[in-house]
Amino acid sequence: MTDSFKTLFAGVLAAMVVFTSAAVQAEAEAGQDSKAVAERVEALKKNVIRLNRDLFILEEDLLFPASTQFAVFLSVNAGEFLNLDAVKLKVDGDIVASHLYTERQVTALERGGMQRLFIGNLKTGTHEVTVFVEGMGPNNRAYKQAATLAFEKSTETTALEIRIKDRSSDYQPMVSIVEWE
Amino acid sequence: MTRPVAFIARVFRSRLSALLVAATASGLPLMIGAPAMAAGDAPERAKDPMYGWVLYNYYQGEAFDALTLLDVARERGGIGGHGAYPELVEGGLMLSYGLTREARELFTRLLEDTNSRGSYDSDNEETQVTLTSQVRTQAWFYLGKVFYLEGDYQLAYENLQRVDADVLEYSDSDLYAEWLYLKAQLAMMSGAFDRKEGITAGEETSIESLREALEQSGLWAHYLSYNVAMAEIAAGEFAVAQQNLSELIADMEDESPKDELVAEQRALLDKSRLSLARLYLRDARFDDALALLGALPLDGVFSDRALFDYAVAAAGRGQMQRALDALDALSQRTLFLPWREQVPYARGYVLEQMNQPRKALTAFTQAAEHYENRGEELVTARQALTEENLNARLSFLRDSDEIITDSYGRLRVTPVDFGLSEVLAGEPFQQALGELNELYRMQSLLMQRESQFSTFETMLETRKIQRERRSREARFELEQQQADDWVEAQESFRSDIEAALAREDAEFFMTTEQKALKTQLDKVAATLARLPDDQSIASQREKYQRMKAYFDWTLANDYGVNRWAAQKQLRELDREMEQFRDQRTVIEALMAGDEEHNELAGRLIRKAAELQVLKAQVQEALAQARRILISRLDQALEQQNTELRRYLVASRHAQARLADQLFRASQNPEVAND
Repeated sequence: MTDSFKTLFAGVLAAMVVFTSAAVQAEAEAGQDSKAVAERVEALKKNVIRLNRDLFILEEDLLFPASTQFAVFLSVNAGEFLNLDAVKLKVDGDIVASHLYTERQVTALERGGMQRLFIGNLKTGTHEVTVFVEGMGPNNRAYKQAATLAFEKSTETTALEIRIKDRSSDYQPMVSIVEWE
Repeated sequence: MTRPVAFIARVFRSRLSALLVAATASGLPLMIGAPAMAAGDAPERAKDPMYGWVLYNYYQGEAFDALTLLDVARERGGIGGHGAYPELVEGGLMLSYGLTREARELFTRLLEDTNSRGSYDSDNEETQVTLTSQVRTQAWFYLGKVFYLEGDYQLAYENLQRVDADVLEYSDSDLYAEWLYLKAQLAMMSGAFDRKEGITAGEETSIESLREALEQSGLWAHYLSYNVAMAEIAAGEFAVAQQNLSELIADMEDESPKDELVAEQRALLDKSRLSLARLYLRDARFDDALALLGALPLDGVFSDRALFDYAVAAAGRGQMQRALDALDALSQRTLFLPWREQVPYARGYVLEQMNQPRKALTAFTQAAEHYENRGEELVTARQALTEENLNARLSFLRDSDEIITDSYGRLRVTPVDFGLSEVLAGEPFQQALGELNELYRMQSLLMQRESQFSTFETMLETRKIQRERRSREARFELEQQQADDWVEAQESFRSDIEAALAREDAEFFMTTEQKALKTQLDKVAATLARLPDDQSIASQREKYQRMKAYFDWTLANDYGVNRWAAQKQLRELDREMEQFRDQRTVIEALMAGDEEHNELAGRLIRKAAELQVLKAQVQEALAQARRILISRLDQALEQQNTELRRYLVASRHAQARLADQLFRASQNPEVAND
């Protein structure tokens, strides 16, 4: 009977081998199918990206024509002296955007990313933009700073950048607004 | 050998997953981020807001959004000030988004371009990618690994071959160890084991040299040793495999891995012991097998397998009670695993060996009932096999509503029904599941975009209404300006001037001052005409005549100047009127039709049609992916069913045999006594 158990054991082993080889063969066929689907999905992904691009441009052309378009970006340089928490943006006295940052977003900014905080329309002429930046400053103290810029809106697209920089002279963060040419 | 056993595949994947998760956080973005950071430690400032925005999305893992923005930037004239770095970023994004073939072409072009150009050329900074050799070599490594994971071993080999070993070892020793491991895996896949002809001399040397190079790299070396041993078993070289597994176990027992690797090394050690014990069982070395299996923990990953093999070893050694105890312990475990289906049969077998035919008969009867029930369950499960059904058997790791994936788009999923674990561990199943998820995401995005179309139409309509209102206002303004009267007045003025020029009418071109003087002179003349002819009046008339003569002389003298001034004013008026007429024409043309509106409306219609085509294609691909996934699962269930049927037949045979034996024994007391 020990022999028959051995036979069973051998049978189990053989079944495992058969199962494995059958699985390998099935896997190879399935792999071909998957490859075909993968290639198809890849082509679809490309088309979806292209369509998304076109719709993105169409949306901007419809909503924010170049002659009145006004965009505000935000960047963080280093971020040693300020752990960004929230930002509020005013244009001509009205709050147009506010944002609370997640850790992932702050990391993305600190690595060189730039957030498009606001996009809207402005008439030609002089305007004023003010930003309020909040976060944790040196020694873990709550920190709040504002910056203002008066600028002339022309008939071209206008882009501003809120720059949050570390100032090594006094170990303080510095907020400024600059206009992209 | 093409793949290690299921466990090692799982462990290998989890190890890779850990590395890939780490890569998401640092490695892969670092690979892409590094070129931008090559100039210094701090990240380089974006010289184009669009590029900064792309990076913002990229560093958050939003590959689709970042790729869209890059495409938008390209459509609007490209990103300025960063040379070809945006393309390098795009390559990384393509990898993250599963566009591996595209990424390969892009990387190959970029990296080969850099290679061929050699060192940094400051004169041509704008158009070049200046990659450090570390970044280049890591890029090749990641690209190779992507293809390895996709099962495209030829491309994986080609890309891994481009890695500069010295540079990789110097820059990242972990990646270097993984690179050696992948190369060894590829060397093993080169066909030698599949052909069952043993390892050719060259390949052995290659794998051996890679093993030697991996000697100091801990787990990677052990994984490779284990996989080599499995390959040897598959090639029928059991003695060599035994020797290698023994050495591997001894090596691991002597080591004290880092805290984070303790559990992983422990699992590999247990698995190696289990594999070696099976080799001992094969050679009927039951004592050696029992010693090894007895050392395995009862709560480990492989405790179930170890218990079963322990029962086999004990039975082989003739220690049936120990075998039964192990099987009883195993049958108490409720978690379903396909291989454990042999336990009910084995219990009956051991009881029979213990010379307890009645208990054995009961055990075989119960086993047969169990297999019948399980078979029915499997049939029902196969009949009711749907995608929803499948999803209910899987647990996806989620972040809010999104299913979490690794940097290579693979889903983080574990089976709720452990009967699926072996199917799920297979790369094709993982890929099919990943593709299905990608297709659903695309479908959802397209539906979201489709719902935006009505908003776009509203925007367009609003724009049209606003424009019509402005046109009405402009028309009213034009009417208020009485433009036709102005044109008529200009024409009349022109003809008067031309007529005066023709008759050289100096009076016509008089200045305002001259006209005032003439009026005064005319008044004086009229007054003098009414006065009597006396002496004092005569002197006044003479004075008037002198003044009149002087005035006429002045008029004649100023004629040229006055005429020129009038003509100049006429020319200026002509110009103004020309401009006025042009503006009016433009305004009237704008009021009459709206080309921009038509162009936008045309784009909207075209994109709506494109979206519908894409939706249909995604739907079709979804059906295909679903079919593949379900058929794969169905095959797995079918295999389980075949196994069950084998055990059911064996149980029924044993049942019949024992019933017959007991019946004959009851008929013949002598036999019963025996």
